[in-house]
Amino acid sequence: MAALLEVEHINAGYGFLQVLWDVSLKVEKGEFVCLLGANGAGKTTTLRTIAGFLKPTAGDIRFEGQSIAKTPAYQISQMGISFVSESLNLFTNMSVRENLLLGAYRVLDKKKQLQALDFVYSLFPRLKERERQLAGTMSGGERKMLAIARGMMSMPKLLLVDEPSLGLAPQVVVTVFEALQTLRKEGVTILLVEQNVPSTLRITDRGYVMEQGKIVLEGPSKELMNNEHVRVAYMGI
Amino acid sequence: MEATRVQPSFLERVMLNMRARPAAWIVIAMTLGFLVIIGIFAGPSQLINTIVTGGMWALMAVGLALVFGVMNIPHFAHGDSFMIGAYVAYFVFTPIQAYLRDNPNPFLSAVGPLIGWIAAALVGFVAGAVMEKLVFYPLRMRTRRGWVMNTFLLTVGISFVLVYGANLILGPNFRGVPNYWNVPPIVIGSVRLTMERIAAFVVAIVAIVAFWIFLSNTRTGRAIRAVAQDEMGAEMVGINLNFIYTLTFALATAMAALAGASLLFMFPAYPTVGLKPLYFAWYVVMLVGLGNVQGAIVGGFIVAVLQTLTQQFFGVSYEDVVPVVVMILVLLLVPNGIFGSEVKGIQEQ
Repeated sequence: MAALLEVEHINAGYGFLQVLWDVSLKVEKGEFVCLLGANGAGKTTTLRTIAGFLKPTAGDIRFEGQSIAKTPAYQISQMGISFVSESLNLFTNMSVRENLLLGAYRVLDKKKQLQALDFVYSLFPRLKERERQLAGTMSGGERKMLAIARGMMSMPKLLLVDEPSLGLAPQVVVTVFEALQTLRKEGVTILLVEQNVPSTLRITDRGYVMEQGKIVLEGPSKELMNNEHVRVAYMGI
Repeated sequence: MEATRVQPSFLERVMLNMRARPAAWIVIAMTLGFLVIIGIFAGPSQLINTIVTGGMWALMAVGLALVFGVMNIPHFAHGDSFMIGAYVAYFVFTPIQAYLRDNPNPFLSAVGPLIGWIAAALVGFVAGAVMEKLVFYPLRMRTRRGWVMNTFLLTVGISFVLVYGANLILGPNFRGVPNYWNVPPIVIGSVRLTMERIAAFVVAIVAIVAFWIFLSNTRTGRAIRAVAQDEMGAEMVGINLNFIYTLTFALATAMAALAGASLLFMFPAYPTVGLKPLYFAWYVVMLVGLGNVQGAIVGGFIVAVLQTLTQQFFGVSYEDVVPVVVMILVLLLVPNGIFGSEVKGIQEQ
């Protein structure tokens, strides 16, 4: 059986600058997969390419067996891939609730919209308290939660999350990671990009390690945690 | 319409806006004060005139603000949408009028002008959509580099084509409809209110309010605001940017065309009829802040007051001078406009 997401030998980059070199990865349905690596390794570029904001110059990306390498970003979102970017891209002048309702832009059934709203409010009770507040006036952690919640509003088949721990206080990082774990228990398939290697490996099933635009290592998170290279390069042990 | 209101009401938003910006308070208070002064010194009919033109500038400026806020296009062909509306209303309404002369029909004579106006708005909508698909869409697909400058030049080009096109096909003649309805004006005390003025004001207010409700409470309206705030975020939630762009441009054009149609009794249709409304709409958006739709509504009335005051106390020939002076002062003192600019990404492009 084909995996939910198959990235096969893609090259991608910005203009003349090629960032990704022959990157392949797979995410099975229900899996929690992480993509690790240092700054500039190409993790974000990989996610942006999957989400359709960058087009691969070679290789193919298949989602549920269908090629999405040339599909525009908004259609990829409609197909069931939600992308939570590093900069979050929230609608800062709109209320929390409006941001969430826009997350369900493609859900035309009002009842399903409200169900999704209840679901994300149960995940992040804080957002319910801040329902009417403008997104731009919230704290960094709350904004991350809002971005993840907005991504969940369309009940996606695959959630792509880019560096949720970036710029957050350690305590808030824990909250965000717990939320991701809850989502995983709810059966959501997640591809997580992170620099925070130890805590990421603790909560994920499987991982890929990227260096200089190439995948250099892959395996179950437990094995990666004991891998000599990972320990030396990313955990400082 | 949504079951739940998730947006603070218009008044709440205006209040919030003003608390953050004392300049806005002062200007609004001054405007209201001036309205009273106009009412006392220039007479109530001038007051009514001011309010009617205010509504129309607001209708024009809202479209301008929207196109700038959502698409980052400094739209200098907006006046030609006004011109299109004026012509369409003229060519739809005059046959109706001729028909009525031979076959009097009270119902048709009451709704006849409305048919002309609706036709103008519809033609404006289609013209806007065609303009967007024909001109801005191909440019967007090619490159976003230098977008503001390129689109500015394109809109000027569109304006030339439309003005001289109209001149070529229809000639430079004035085509006006002195009155839409053959009813005597309503007289209250010393004030004479013609039906056209009342209708023009009602149209402006209804169009603006309907548009406001559309923007704040519907799914598509929310999507338009989302694109104005964060394009990538909008794409991430599955909004088709191209659809929103075309819709925005079409709506703005339709509103300008509606303004042109309902003001046909004041501005007869001729090729360059749109210039004055264009300039005044630009005064409005520069005064309140580029891309600020709520501000544009209030700003329309502020500029109309300025205009009447100028006519009253300096003479009609100064009509353009005073708003330009005010605009220069605004750019010097509050460069973002008195209500603040709401434009994304202009710096990064």
